Amino acid sequence: MKPWIFLGFLVIVANFYSQTADALLKSVVNKINLVNDYKAELQVKASIPFIKVPIANATIYFKKKDKFKVESKGIAILPKQGLSDLTGFLGKTSAYSSVLGEEKTINDHKTQLVSVLPSDENSEIILAKVYISASDALIYRTVLTTKNSGTVSIDYEYNHNKQYGLPSKMTFKVDIKKFKMPKSVASDIRNNDQKKKYKENEKGTIILTFTSYTVNQGISDDIFKAD
Amino acid sequence: MLRKNTYNELLKIATKIRSYIGIGALTLLILIVLFAMKADGKSYVGFVTASFEQTLSFNGKILNGNLIAFIILQMLIVHVPLLIALVTGDLISGEEATGTVRMLATKPISRTGIVLSKWFAATIYTLIMTLWLGFLSLFVAKWMFGTGDLIVLNSEGLLVLPESELAWRFGLSLMIAFLALWTVATLSMAFSAFAKNSVGPIVSTMSVIILFTIIGTLDVSVFDSIKPFMFTTHMAAWRSVFEDPFPTSTIVESVVVLMLHILVLLGITLYRFNKKDITS
Repeated sequence: MKPWIFLGFLVIVANFYSQTADALLKSVVNKINLVNDYKAELQVKASIPFIKVPIANATIYFKKKDKFKVESKGIAILPKQGLSDLTGFLGKTSAYSSVLGEEKTINDHKTQLVSVLPSDENSEIILAKVYISASDALIYRTVLTTKNSGTVSIDYEYNHNKQYGLPSKMTFKVDIKKFKMPKSVASDIRNNDQKKKYKENEKGTIILTFTSYTVNQGISDDIFKAD
Repeated sequence: MLRKNTYNELLKIATKIRSYIGIGALTLLILIVLFAMKADGKSYVGFVTASFEQTLSFNGKILNGNLIAFIILQMLIVHVPLLIALVTGDLISGEEATGTVRMLATKPISRTGIVLSKWFAATIYTLIMTLWLGFLSLFVAKWMFGTGDLIVLNSEGLLVLPESELAWRFGLSLMIAFLALWTVATLSMAFSAFAKNSVGPIVSTMSVIILFTIIGTLDVSVFDSIKPFMFTTHMAAWRSVFEDPFPTSTIVESVVVLMLHILVLLGITLYRFNKKDITS
């Protein structure tokens, strides 16, 4: 086989896989685009090294394109990446390139890995590995590699709002960096016990359970104004 | 007679300007902290959550009255003893300095009764100071900043306590803070029984607190065996109330140690005053 024929074959194959990856992402984005706004009740259960926090309840609001607000009476700890920014990022199809990867079964759902690489060098997301089920155009797992937040892994579960791609449960696994206690803030003179030691690559888990979705019912812009 | 004498002692405290210096200074300090938090409290909160900010976002009202009250208690619990000692350190030595101790001894009350009435008056003054501290830090702070969950930073990391649990925790912490200040008041009275002027007991009380606090904070194993017996170690027990799980045994131990200090110091004061030569 002549080299240029082989090269041409490679280009065609790569193009085919890229189109398939794009098509998969497009099917997800099309679903997400059906949502103009939504409101949902959120329960946050966090298990994070060095943080002890009770289960928190909050209300979340979203409005196209990128208006997002969490309203919580108590203190709710949420992951910095992967909640509202990911869908916004995937929506800008020109801002990244995608490559099709392996097949994987996640929670009985056959998924296809799509690796998403942003074109913008300043993008917070360096690489997004998105596991998409072709049968229902839903994301079942995302692994985000970010500049500042380390690696964030997100597992998705769906029930009533599958048609909009809105999850009923999201399980985040986030990297926790070494906790540095500002001594001027915490003068804990009684505590002479052995302090909890930091282990490399400690992970924190945050489980978000969404209920009472109201989708496309209209949300006032005033809600998103800062308090 | 004891009750009447206690009332007289309270009147003496009430007529002295130095009694109001403590309350005035406490009020001013708390108002300054409240003003500072109103002006730039968010950066203080950022300081608390900074270690986690890159990965996590903290939602909800973190800067609220409960956090401010906790910050005020943490800041002032070290300084309030000085304000207490300013008054209680003068109770016995002041009588000696002005020469009124002899006249006091002519009253139909035993020397033990005199010391106890002064001690009861000191206790009431300490209670008023603690309640004032609690009122300003809790009620005024809540009025200014609203209410919400409390975020506590300790050596183990961050702890978020739900608002529903905070009323009893603050109540108990104020009770323990009162016990700690009561110990300081009794200590300064004990010094006062040995002195002939007011400056000595006040300075001695503060010196003991500073010395013990420094020993307590030194991470040197030599002092590990004496730390549990120093009252300054247990003065910080109010902070343990804001731990989860609730450290019952630690708090009970601190309460017992502080109570023992109060009883021993009161005993020393009684012994010294009963043996004191006030006739020459």
